[in-house]
Amino acid sequence: MTIDSLKSNVAVSAAGLELHYGATPVLKGIDVALGQGKTLALLGPSGCGKTTLLRLVAGLLAPSKGSVSIAGQVVADAASGTFAPPEKRNLGMVFQDYALWPHMTVGGNVSFPLEMRGISRAEREKRTMHALERVGLSAYASRRPSDLSGGQQQRVAIARAIVAEPQLILFDEPLSNLDRELRENMVGELAELIASLGLTAIYVTHDHSEALTLADQVAVMRGGLIEQLATPDELVAQPSTPEVADFLRLGGIADLERRDACWVFRGGDVALMRADEARADNSRILIPVAAITPGDIQPDRLAATVLRSQFRGDGHLATVSLIGADQVELQVLSRHKLKPGDGVGLSIDFDQIRWFEKPFHSHP
Amino acid sequence: MAAKSVGGQAPAAWLAIAGLLLVVAVPFAAVVMQGIFPELGQGSFANPFSSFVTTLNDGALIGMAGNTILLGCCVVLASAVVAVPLGVFRALYRVPGAALFDVLLLVPFMIPPYIATLGWIMTLQPRGYLQQLLGFNLASFLFSLAGMTMVMAFNTFPVVYFAVSRTVEAVGARYADVGRVFGATPARAFWRITLPLSAPGLAASLMLVFAAAIEEYGTPAALGRRAGFQVLVTGIDLRISDWPIDLPGASIMSLLLVGLSLLTFLGQRWILSRRSYQTVNGKPTAKDKRPLGVMKWPVLAAFIIVSFLATGVPLLSILATAMSRTISGGLALDNMSFDNFLSVFQNSAGALGALANSFSLGIGTALITGLIGVTAAYTVVKTKIRGRLAIDSLTIIPNALPGIVVAVGLILAWNMPWLPATPYNTPFILLLAYCCILLPQTMRYSTAAFQQIGDNLEAAARVFGASGITAFRRILLPLVFPSLASAMLLVFALASRELVASVVIAPVGMQTIATFIWRQFEQGSIGLGMAMAFIAILITTLLPLLLLALLRRSGLVAE
Amino acid sequence: MFKSLKSITLGAVAAVLMAGVAHADITVYTAGPQSLIDKMSEGFTKETGIKVNVFQATTGKVMARIEAEASNPVVDVLISASWDTASDFEKRGWLVKYSSPNAAKVPDFLKSDYAVAQGISALGIAWNTKSGTPKPSDWADLTKPEYKDMVNIPDPAQSGSSFELTAALAGQDDFKLFKDLQANGAIIAGANAEALNPVLQGAKAAVFGAVDYITLAAAKKGESVEVVFPASGTVIAPRPAMILNWSKNQDEAKKFIDYMLSDAGQKMVAAQMLMPARSDVAADRPLISDLKLLKFDNAAVYGKRKETLGEITKIFGGK
Repeated sequence: MTIDSLKSNVAVSAAGLELHYGATPVLKGIDVALGQGKTLALLGPSGCGKTTLLRLVAGLLAPSKGSVSIAGQVVADAASGTFAPPEKRNLGMVFQDYALWPHMTVGGNVSFPLEMRGISRAEREKRTMHALERVGLSAYASRRPSDLSGGQQQRVAIARAIVAEPQLILFDEPLSNLDRELRENMVGELAELIASLGLTAIYVTHDHSEALTLADQVAVMRGGLIEQLATPDELVAQPSTPEVADFLRLGGIADLERRDACWVFRGGDVALMRADEARADNSRILIPVAAITPGDIQPDRLAATVLRSQFRGDGHLATVSLIGADQVELQVLSRHKLKPGDGVGLSIDFDQIRWFEKPFHSHP
Repeated sequence: MAAKSVGGQAPAAWLAIAGLLLVVAVPFAAVVMQGIFPELGQGSFANPFSSFVTTLNDGALIGMAGNTILLGCCVVLASAVVAVPLGVFRALYRVPGAALFDVLLLVPFMIPPYIATLGWIMTLQPRGYLQQLLGFNLASFLFSLAGMTMVMAFNTFPVVYFAVSRTVEAVGARYADVGRVFGATPARAFWRITLPLSAPGLAASLMLVFAAAIEEYGTPAALGRRAGFQVLVTGIDLRISDWPIDLPGASIMSLLLVGLSLLTFLGQRWILSRRSYQTVNGKPTAKDKRPLGVMKWPVLAAFIIVSFLATGVPLLSILATAMSRTISGGLALDNMSFDNFLSVFQNSAGALGALANSFSLGIGTALITGLIGVTAAYTVVKTKIRGRLAIDSLTIIPNALPGIVVAVGLILAWNMPWLPATPYNTPFILLLAYCCILLPQTMRYSTAAFQQIGDNLEAAARVFGASGITAFRRILLPLVFPSLASAMLLVFALASRELVASVVIAPVGMQTIATFIWRQFEQGSIGLGMAMAFIAILITTLLPLLLLALLRRSGLVAE
Repeated sequence: MFKSLKSITLGAVAAVLMAGVAHADITVYTAGPQSLIDKMSEGFTKETGIKVNVFQATTGKVMARIEAEASNPVVDVLISASWDTASDFEKRGWLVKYSSPNAAKVPDFLKSDYAVAQGISALGIAWNTKSGTPKPSDWADLTKPEYKDMVNIPDPAQSGSSFELTAALAGQDDFKLFKDLQANGAIIAGANAEALNPVLQGAKAAVFGAVDYITLAAAKKGESVEVVFPASGTVIAPRPAMILNWSKNQDEAKKFIDYMLSDAGQKMVAAQMLMPARSDVAADRPLISDLKLLKFDNAAVYGKRKETLGEITKIFGGK
């Protein structure tokens, strides 16, 4: 692949992007690129800078340093002072609070982007109805947004975002205000919509399952930086840091110390396994849920106490603490319901353990 | 570097800054300069600060400042005593005819304070209407601090009444019921939940009353002088109207008054910003309210009495005076006629010209303050650009500038000999004065309206292809329009009756409603003045109501 | 929508502007009655084609305006309600010397090189005929028990003629009359009209030192009020008209003074129940020759203005 063809395929990119509010840095240097027709999820806890990054792409904020390009065009560059306002960027966007204009009808909301692009009235009506049909709300065109339920309002917001077939659609935690069942349905619908329309999209969320379901690329963000940028499969298989693993809820994180010839849980006296020479004396590991099989307490198993347990679709996911190293919390999937306070024996498949590169206290 | 937000607010900000500089900063700076440089009027900067010493050493000044504060506190207290119980009952109980009482209690806003005062004098003085009807008078009460307090409180208490009934209504419905679920009796829920939550709103409205009371001229001038009670505003007026004139002294006393008002205003803002529970959508329906039960008749009686005293007495007294052939003829049937009203319509003493002038100025003021208010509020609330703090401070100043100070400042500023063109001695100077005095109204209403609009509504418009100006016009302006429209109607009503500044700076040969009335009083034609007052009150009350009804029907303004 | 807003604003403002500033040739500030100056400028414009711009207010407000405008004055002709203004402005060198040919019949004490009276008012007792009190005939009558709490006094601080009356009477008996009045419940009640209004309704029986023409005009309208000129004498207030030296229209201003003193102009003055300045113009009211005047030294009285007002304030309390 040549540089040129790579460039023409890039729908949106950011280089060295920083944003400061006064002395406070919100983004500390973001480099990311997204190909045409792909979906990028920005995943992270609140305050990590993911919404700020989205607003920089949208043109609702201007960067303090670095640049943003959309479809090969530089739309914002702090060095040269280039700044294209949002209306010049040919975007669609779905807001967390929907941001439907209360003084316009549903149809008026959806046709607004077409109106701004100077499209004729007849054409506007046709395309508005088409977009509303796609989200199943064609009967509501003349209603006010306030007459609609939360889920319906969300669909109107989506119809408004796709109606003008923009080159890039931005989603700002679009489902966080919906209840769980609705949210799960909408994730499926959105995935279908994005695939069938071949949309290029950036999707901000704090929900890892939404991100892993919808995105081709996931950027896990933390403290104004991208911690890891990878496909969903890579992310699950090889989280780059304990924090990524923890945020994706891949399993329990534990710190090990080499003592004699064994790896012992730090701060306790429980040995996990025999140590090999290849690794440093202090290591941090991820024990994935799938690596642990629960059973009765037996000598060859680790003894643990159940702290809490929650039903998931495929069983009861319990959080347990090891007896003798009770600061270590692991996640266990059990077919039977486990009650807080129960004892449980854990057998661990050592091959599935993921060893992180850096020792603990790794992150500043 | 501070984070930039999106561009596109620049036009709004520039418009707001230019308007505020012209309307607010210029006259204010002139007053400050005059205070510092006593010979500024002669174009000289000699002897700076010399008049501070003489003015501040005047022993009467402390008395006047004390009287000003005393009067303000009394009016606040009286307003609270009248308004709080009524507001609470209106908010929590089903008061029969509540909508009608809301209208009746709104009318005092429309009666110019100096007219209301004269109405009270005509009613309560010896051989006044009260004595003619019932055989006794309350002159000794009227011409005292208590009388002044009563007249001014009846003029300003609606501010408190409406603030209390709105907040208590919203708070009561939302939180007090939660308290009851957790075991509080209605009374305990009121004392422990509703009242503390409503307190900031109540305090803010009381401070508004205080600010209005210390700026009021007509009532202390008409009632206070006889009680030997001088306040700062009448003191300033005296320095301006007593030969030899002391403009530097008046400027310094103005600055003292400005300081007092500013403190009040900052206090109000502090209370509101610290803990404001003003709920946005709390609009409970009548069915949420409790029936009054045995309290029905006493409460109803209280509403009727207050409405009658606040609205009925001044209006009836104005009407009676306007219809009297001669004042000495009293309330006799053969003394009643429409002669004075006819005189107004026959354009006697330029009455129709005065009406036309005032209404044109009112419309102009409403439009300009609307434009500046909405752009300034937008810049302050919705943008993060750098000049916005300056804009915010500039919009605070007029809250603290009494009409007479604005007038003095405008004369000083616009009558410099080196100016190539000046609005002085043209109607524009009145327009400038009214805009400065009334700007806080549109500013306050639009700020509140903008604060209720989610930031993303504008962002969404921008993302979907609207330029900054288009987004403002298509999205924000329609959303704040209901609030803006009511503020502009209020501005229209207040501008068309403004007295103090008008008397001092009206261009030669031009009369407004207020100067016409004042002049008739000064020349002994009380009846003609009152007829004009009655017509003006009628128009300024009915016209906005009509407009609102029209807007509502056309769907432009929501209920 | 913004466009239409702006055009409405400009339209409304323009309408007012056109109404207010019909381009005028001379500007007159007057402390006299509005209807008098309206009629007089109308007649003047009809005769000469020169338009007149008028600012009418109390003497104090007129003075405030002139002082505020000191650096850029616009007034051509000033008609004050107090001769003291003319003396003061003459001393400051602000006046233009002018003797109108029509002033020949104006008595000498009503004109100087720089100013000439438009008309004269006198002070008297304004008495409500239906007040149930006996008709007073002299100032001292108002200290009698019949008038207990029934007397208003115009504020001498706010009116030049009231001050002259106060000073003249106080000079005769060292404020005894005023102390007696105060003991009898008389109060100081604002400027002239403010003091008169309660008398019309009957709240008070009499004004001590009312400006006569306002009261006479009220009586003419049918109010039950009468002016009594006290036997022991009173003061008159000639209303000086003067041309300011910064005027750029001095010739037109002189024509205005001429018109003011013409037959037509003086008849208008008489119609307002003021005494005409010219002794040969008739009026339907008592004239100077019918009045007994108090004697006092103008310069001395004004020299002690502050002290006199201070004493009055002390007697009547307050402020």
